[in-house]
Amino acid sequence: MKAPLSWLKEYVDINVSVDELAAKLVGAGFEIEDVIRPSDDYVNIKAVKILSIEKHPNADKLRICQVDAGERKLQIVTAATNVNVGDVVALALDGSRLPDGTEIKKGELRGVLSEGMFCGGSELKLTGADYPAAGIDGVFIFPNDILPGTDINDFIGTNDVIFDVSVTANRPDCNSIIGIAREIAAVLGQPMKDTFQLPEIAESGDIAPALKVEVRDNELCPRYLAKMLRNVKIGPSDELIKRRLRLMGLRPINNIVDITNYILFDIGQPMHAFDYKDIKGGEIIVRRAMAGETIVTLDGTENHLSDNNLVIANAEIPMAVAGVMGGADSGISDTTDTVVFEFARFKRDNIRKTARTLGLHSDSSARFEKGIDYVSQDLALIRAIQLVTRLQAGTFCKGTVDTLKKAIEPAVINVKKSKIDEILGIDVATDEILRILKSLQFDVIANGDEMTITIPKYREDIVGANDIAEEVIRLYGYDNIVGKPLDGKKLTQGGRNSRDRIVQKVKAFLSGLCGLSETFSYSFISPKFVDDFCLKENDPRRNLIKILNPLSEDVSVMRTTLAPSMFSICASNYSRGVKEASFYEIGKTYFPKALPMTDTAIEKETLILASFGEKVDFYTLKGVVEALADRFNVPVDFVASDETFLHPYRQAFITINGEKVGYIGQLHPAVVKTRKFDPELYISEIDLDAFIDHSKDFLPFVPISKFPSIERDLAFVVGEDVYAGDMLKAIRKVGGEYLRQASIFDVYQGIGVLPGKKSIAFNLLFRKDDGTLDGEEINKTVDAIISAMSDDFGAKLRD
Amino acid sequence: MIDKIKELVEKVKDRLEKASSVAEVGDIRVTFLGKSGEYTGLLRGLKDVAPQDRGPIGKLINEGKVRLENMLAEKEAYFRAKEEARKLKSEKIDVTLSKGYKIGSMHPITKVKNEILDTFIGLGFAVKEGPEIETDYYNFQTLGIPADHPARDMQDTFYISENILLRTHTSPMQSRTMLSEKPPIRIVVPGKVYRADDDATHSPIFNQIEGLCVEEGISLAHLKNMLEIFAKSTFTKDTKVRFRPSYFPFTEPSVEVDISCSMCGGKGCRLCKGTGWIEILGAGIVNPVVLENCGIDSKKYSGFAFGFGIDRIAMLKYGIPDIRLMYENDVNFLKQYK
Repeated sequence: MKAPLSWLKEYVDINVSVDELAAKLVGAGFEIEDVIRPSDDYVNIKAVKILSIEKHPNADKLRICQVDAGERKLQIVTAATNVNVGDVVALALDGSRLPDGTEIKKGELRGVLSEGMFCGGSELKLTGADYPAAGIDGVFIFPNDILPGTDINDFIGTNDVIFDVSVTANRPDCNSIIGIAREIAAVLGQPMKDTFQLPEIAESGDIAPALKVEVRDNELCPRYLAKMLRNVKIGPSDELIKRRLRLMGLRPINNIVDITNYILFDIGQPMHAFDYKDIKGGEIIVRRAMAGETIVTLDGTENHLSDNNLVIANAEIPMAVAGVMGGADSGISDTTDTVVFEFARFKRDNIRKTARTLGLHSDSSARFEKGIDYVSQDLALIRAIQLVTRLQAGTFCKGTVDTLKKAIEPAVINVKKSKIDEILGIDVATDEILRILKSLQFDVIANGDEMTITIPKYREDIVGANDIAEEVIRLYGYDNIVGKPLDGKKLTQGGRNSRDRIVQKVKAFLSGLCGLSETFSYSFISPKFVDDFCLKENDPRRNLIKILNPLSEDVSVMRTTLAPSMFSICASNYSRGVKEASFYEIGKTYFPKALPMTDTAIEKETLILASFGEKVDFYTLKGVVEALADRFNVPVDFVASDETFLHPYRQAFITINGEKVGYIGQLHPAVVKTRKFDPELYISEIDLDAFIDHSKDFLPFVPISKFPSIERDLAFVVGEDVYAGDMLKAIRKVGGEYLRQASIFDVYQGIGVLPGKKSIAFNLLFRKDDGTLDGEEINKTVDAIISAMSDDFGAKLRD
Repeated sequence: MIDKIKELVEKVKDRLEKASSVAEVGDIRVTFLGKSGEYTGLLRGLKDVAPQDRGPIGKLINEGKVRLENMLAEKEAYFRAKEEARKLKSEKIDVTLSKGYKIGSMHPITKVKNEILDTFIGLGFAVKEGPEIETDYYNFQTLGIPADHPARDMQDTFYISENILLRTHTSPMQSRTMLSEKPPIRIVVPGKVYRADDDATHSPIFNQIEGLCVEEGISLAHLKNMLEIFAKSTFTKDTKVRFRPSYFPFTEPSVEVDISCSMCGGKGCRLCKGTGWIEILGAGIVNPVVLENCGIDSKKYSGFAFGFGIDRIAMLKYGIPDIRLMYENDVNFLKQYK
């Protein structure tokens, strides 16, 4: 909300500096977004009187003027034709700046010195509606009584300070000059001036027979107040109104329209002015639009209405979208003779909905959306009567039409002083509370601890003790609150749940000597990935949750896998010259319970690992997965897999007790090609929820055996397609209770091994915890292993 | 005989002085004290000594032998030490070399989040997480923001369907918790939140921590104390906390909370735009309407709530100039946070 200081002063005496006032408003809860000095737009532009005009010696179209600039005389070369000796005109002096930022310097024009430039209306950002002289093509000519040397800011009223105040959603009453002024009165301890004296006016005729108002939906329109004005003389507003509208960033149009705009800012009450001749049948009907009805609004758009939209109609058609915008056909024109002013209250959420669905926004809708109180219509009516009278814009009919049959009584609440102290945690003296509330126009009767508070009608945000506490403290000063420990309160058990604790340990493990860097990527990605990754038609990862209003298509679906984001991270690092890197991320993947969504989603905590670089291969990353599984005692397994986006011969599913929990593999070269990325990229994605379900961070103590162990090395020759891991599994199965460790220590192909075959060497360690091993028994076990290898894999013991 | 002893001792002494290695000392030992050594021979010659002299002579021979043994041992130890030193010297390495190592890193958001959570855990707050894809009901309605309420304009929302959205704050966990638990409640809720906003200071995704404390007689003074503890432990011991009035639909009174500038300590600098203060979070007393919406008796209980962006705290703590750096995942950025 912009509030010019001069306008605020109409309501309250302001005897502090601009900075001090701004600080006080901030302290009371009103952020000052900006302090604007509109005179900054007009630097060193003055009224000067033309003393003489002569021809330019070197140019036919130029003339040389001697002017009186007040303190001194200047020579100006101009091409303007509307200059005459004796006129007082606008001059941009040497070193001046125009509203569009143009800086003017003195200089020679065709060999003759010009100490400035005459300005026209357009250069001064003024139009014929501001001043007739600004409407003509040529130099701006001041009225003759303006003294030479007068600064243009003094003439157009830009020597002012405008506070751009940020008004929070709970204070719609402050989207007005009067609202900000009330707050200033409170923070400065000044009274509000009474500016609502009704002038003596001559009225002609009664409104009653001429105008009827029927509100068909009282919920959407709880009040409709109309006042009728006859013998309207459309013309310009006075200087004060025009100045103030300009300060608010609005162009003056004509007296009637200006009055409605002025009051919108002044009181915060949006008004509408109808031409009575458009009110067919002399009846205003406030109703929901009928399906299929349309209206062309002032901005020229045709709007298709529904019964969710409230309209102001005559007996036949809608004349305005209630609270939002008038119809193009029912506005005020130069020939308007009779005007009906509307002062209404509409239901805020309905206006908000209408403005959004129609895409129509105006200063009116902005205010109705936030809420208009019941007092503003009355204040606006008085102000309208004052302004019309001042401008002699017409003659009012006697009386009003008001659909609010009974005046709204102000709300009264009872609040205990002790409750306020309890909320604030400090003791504020009763006198202080009373002083503050009274400065905010609350009526308070204190009786011991009990306070009976009458709330101003425009403060519909105040409903209970918490609101009163806030009013008190924002004026008493938040700095007076001193921190108080939670002494004497009940103990609560803090901490993380066990699942979260594991997640943190997983992060610490991977971020440590595993050497992976944690990343953080967006949860939404491009839906294109399902095709880039060639996901099968029935792949559940195709079940995407779509965002209705994404920032762009690239970030329009919730991810069902972290792989696309991770690939993108690797690729962008590679493009920045990073030749090797390892990353991990723990984030959610999102699956719908059903589509379309009517409930929350299934959100799965997912871990992704990725690694690329010269020394990186499948086993590098697999080692990380194995280490992680070992650390958390999760029995993982690697089995045949068929992920479409992985290298068909370098991938495996990760399982826990036979249940698939993830995959590991090299990203398919075809997928890699979608970005500029050359190295082999290994990724692994694991359902972290399942992993954690099977994890054991604390295992019971196992006694350490005092007895010696026996080691055996066995090397087998098998076909090269045989998986060593399968053999290892079989060995563990046959190895009996004393086989404590079994590992592969060599895989060999080459001289000494037939082509198509490979040699795999296993190291086996046997141990008994409660006695010495019987060598013979171990030999039997080893024999059993050898024959199992032979039976299951066609393996021959290598000589 | 006595002369012979003296002579041999002198001879050994002489030889030892010329010796230059453990091996030579060994040779000398064999030459003189070996089975057929010269000195050993003296003992054999004892039988030729007059019987009455054998005792004293024998004693002299033994004393001489002990002397020789000591001389040999001393010399041998000397050479051994020398050789050991030589061997060690030959094993000299360049300790300034390194074979390198792998070390990972933890995202600054995780690091800062964990530190902040630890502070609140120590104060009895339990860590909770909630769904990121939320219902309009929990994200707005239970928090006192019905449909078409003007406060909805305060946050640009991503919608999945009419009633399903990406949560715009971690606050829905306030109502979810209050609907399922009875006071005393003290929770902190970390998590991702979403706003349809994207520029140098806004990311469409960022991380928040929500705090909620509901009990009998909770006041703004309690809130201030908690936030002072948080500010001092997250920044520096002399960090100050300031409240400014504000508005949030789910708290009343509502405050914006500033801390004294982490860069200049409150003197005024570029970071705090000369004010000495930096806005870091929003907070307030839980609106009684919210308590009632969640089935908690607002006459008996009250509470405070606060919410802040972890990203912003991390940027302040580490001096990170642009929020987008956090989500670009440049390894040169990530590796700075071990």
